[in-house]
Amino acid sequence: MRSSMKTPVSVLRLPRGPDPNSRGFDPNSPRFIALCPTTVPSSSSSGSADEGEQRLRAELRERFLRTLLLMTGKRVRFDMHEHVRVHARFGASDIDVLNLQVSDLETPLGVQREALLRCQDVIACSFEA
Amino acid sequence: MSPVSMAMRQTPLTCSGHTRPVVDLAFSGITPYGYFLISACKDGKPMLRQGDTGDWIGTFLGHKGAVWGATLNKEATKAATAAADFTAKVWDAVTGDEVLTLAHKHIVKSVNFTQDSNCLLTGGNDKVLRIYDLSKPEAEPQEIAGHTSAIKKALWCNNDQQILSAAEDKTIRLWDKNTKEAVKTLSFDASVSSMEYIPDGEILVITYGRTIAFYKANSLDLIKTVDAPASIHSASLHPEKDFFVAGGDDFKLYKYDYTTREEMESYKGHFGPIHCVRFSPDGELYASGSEDGTLRLWQTAVGKTYGLWKCVLPEELSSENSEILYCPPAEIKA
Repeated sequence: MRSSMKTPVSVLRLPRGPDPNSRGFDPNSPRFIALCPTTVPSSSSSGSADEGEQRLRAELRERFLRTLLLMTGKRVRFDMHEHVRVHARFGASDIDVLNLQVSDLETPLGVQREALLRCQDVIACSFEA
Repeated sequence: MSPVSMAMRQTPLTCSGHTRPVVDLAFSGITPYGYFLISACKDGKPMLRQGDTGDWIGTFLGHKGAVWGATLNKEATKAATAAADFTAKVWDAVTGDEVLTLAHKHIVKSVNFTQDSNCLLTGGNDKVLRIYDLSKPEAEPQEIAGHTSAIKKALWCNNDQQILSAAEDKTIRLWDKNTKEAVKTLSFDASVSSMEYIPDGEILVITYGRTIAFYKANSLDLIKTVDAPASIHSASLHPEKDFFVAGGDDFKLYKYDYTTREEMESYKGHFGPIHCVRFSPDGELYASGSEDGTLRLWQTAVGKTYGLWKCVLPEELSSENSEILYCPPAEIKA
């Protein structure tokens, strides 16, 4: 009988989930606009030291990204924690550099056709350019 | 009393996005932009959400390990997180930027701001409580030692003059912030699974085994205890102190009358043990975080129009010009 079955509360919509392409914190939200000082950098003297550091950071980042590009398809040696050293063909990194996609990973248990290496486990990688 | 509320079944709102268990959550105070919710997750990516709708606002990126604790300051302008990467981080909760990284010697489990947001209290597996002055982040933190096992939770209390800490050594200790001495120690047979401090009324809510216990925060005198049907991991007292909610191993959320200690309702919905539950600052809803990787929002007054929930009279549901876009199918268990 319908009267003995409770009606579930209606909702307008479901909560919005994360945007897969961004970390959020919409700069156009009323809260952001009200609470954040202008993000346009001033040309005052204190700015130049920050600009210098920013330029260096940008250079280092670009070098890192170019290294990743150069590594693609190459045989790379990964030195990892616990004295682990493996060889594999490097495929790609994810956007946050949390995982590295590799192929033909040589492990003590055999060769893994496809694998993901966790970046936090990798200490260093080396390859012939 | 609305005739509708008697016939309504709870519709929890599920907030997805995390990919691993949600282990901690915290609400901000009520701000001019509403109130906010932060969730700590083993996937290392704590998230900020609008408190009354569960809408995702942003993800704090930077930790390199599971995030065990997360908190917001009252104004929701700062966030702090405690992680397995041996750091606690302070974030700008408006821009999402990382503001400070505080290195520790072991996994950090708990973070808590003072009321003025100037100091941050941390506690974790190295058994030491640390107080950081956020206006002098390079300065060494003050340290309070005494616990003999990993600290699970550390909170400011009594107008930020005292500190409450719960550890795996099965004790809860009340410390004086200035003398750094333990003022009182409570011992239990089991490890305390959670702790909540209610400043208004100075009440401490703790859970251990199947028990939810209420203490006076400044004296650690017992007020009352309630036993639940299953092992409880977290409980929260309503701001008006008329109900409390609890959740744990059996995946259900229990709602109790605080005065009579009677169980009023239980709700199924999560697909894993519940790790944390908290009432919103206005008491209109409570949020639960689970091993299943989701956060769920539950109404305190089922059927009331609030946030995304809409009170609909039975006649309206079947009418053709109903505005309701979504009505959950009957198979979803409340």
